[in-house]
Amino acid sequence: MADLFAPGDRVRATSVDPPHHTRAPRYVRGAVGTVVEREGVFPLADDRARGLPSAPEAVYAVRFAARELFGEGDHDVTVALWESYLRAVS
Amino acid sequence: MGRINDVGGMHGFPPIERELDEPPFHADWEAHVFAMNRALIGRGVYNLDEFRDAVERLPAAEYLAASYYERWFRAITALLVAKGVCTAEEVAGG
Amino acid sequence: MGGDHGGAAASLAARVRHVEALLEQRGLVDPLELDRALEAFLARANPDNGARLVARAWVDPGFRARLLLDGNAAIGEVGVSMGGGLQEQRLKVVENTATTHNVVVCTLCSCYPVALLGPSPTWYKSEAYRSRVVRDPRSVLAEFGFALPDAVAITVWDASAETRYLVVPRRPEGTEGLDERALADLVTRDGLIGVAAV
Repeated sequence: MADLFAPGDRVRATSVDPPHHTRAPRYVRGAVGTVVEREGVFPLADDRARGLPSAPEAVYAVRFAARELFGEGDHDVTVALWESYLRAVS
Repeated sequence: MGRINDVGGMHGFPPIERELDEPPFHADWEAHVFAMNRALIGRGVYNLDEFRDAVERLPAAEYLAASYYERWFRAITALLVAKGVCTAEEVAGG
Repeated sequence: MGGDHGGAAASLAARVRHVEALLEQRGLVDPLELDRALEAFLARANPDNGARLVARAWVDPGFRARLLLDGNAAIGEVGVSMGGGLQEQRLKVVENTATTHNVVVCTLCSCYPVALLGPSPTWYKSEAYRSRVVRDPRSVLAEFGFALPDAVAITVWDASAETRYLVVPRRPEGTEGLDERALADLVTRDGLIGVAAV
């Protein structure tokens, strides 16, 4: 499957609060960031933790402004997020 | 909202405590828990994501009260029971 | 340590031995093999690996560029690999400059470039560090005795997926006369995480 995102793209992190294991930290939920790079393809942790078959999927380093995440702070936080956790922002 | 391990950005935790010249393990049992976990994952008894899931599913108060390798040990024993490797009675006995 | 605490640790040690014995009976672990694996791991996974990478990057601009571009490929030149854990992990090396500083955390658990830094310290795995450094890195760095000028921008890297991050600190001034080995001796594990200047 072709990658959905490229460096520079603006993306929104999922706002879903899943009942199972996930690697999308809650502090990024619903926040908009910028793709820095594609880190490679890896099976989705949410699926592997539940013993479900999981096709490798792209993971991206996504940079968020602290102000977007917390309403304060002058730093950035770069979070590694699977494609399933991200939506395009037009 | 989320699990107890998911603490990024949360308020209320104290200043960071550091230990001078900290050894890799503080007791022999910690090293054994570490090595046992690697062996079990290496043998495919469970995978790393199932292990993380088991750590995160510890009751919140237990998670916060336990030391790092204590959490690991509790997660390992929970997985051994869940995977049918040992019964809960066997794990508890001894 | 109080008597209570010591007693709890002793009972935990006994329970670990008990479970290990159960696993041995089932042929899932071999205590001798565990000891050997642990010894080999501790001998291989060491912060000097990370320090040597940084020293080489400081003296060799070509290596520095390769390291930042493709960490896994470049670190082989210094004779180390990311295979110290269960499997080879992807490495991303990030560099501090006069205007930007990097600091690494794993807010969800304790992910860390263990092959290059050795087992992580307890503070790295603590809720205190994991909760606070993403929100207020300047205060956290100050607690480490590291006062970063306000003009320096901070990027926190949360190791939430399959990549492990390593920081290349800035080369200290006045070290022009030092050779690569002496430079490596200046680099600390905390510097490689980003909570110290070097």
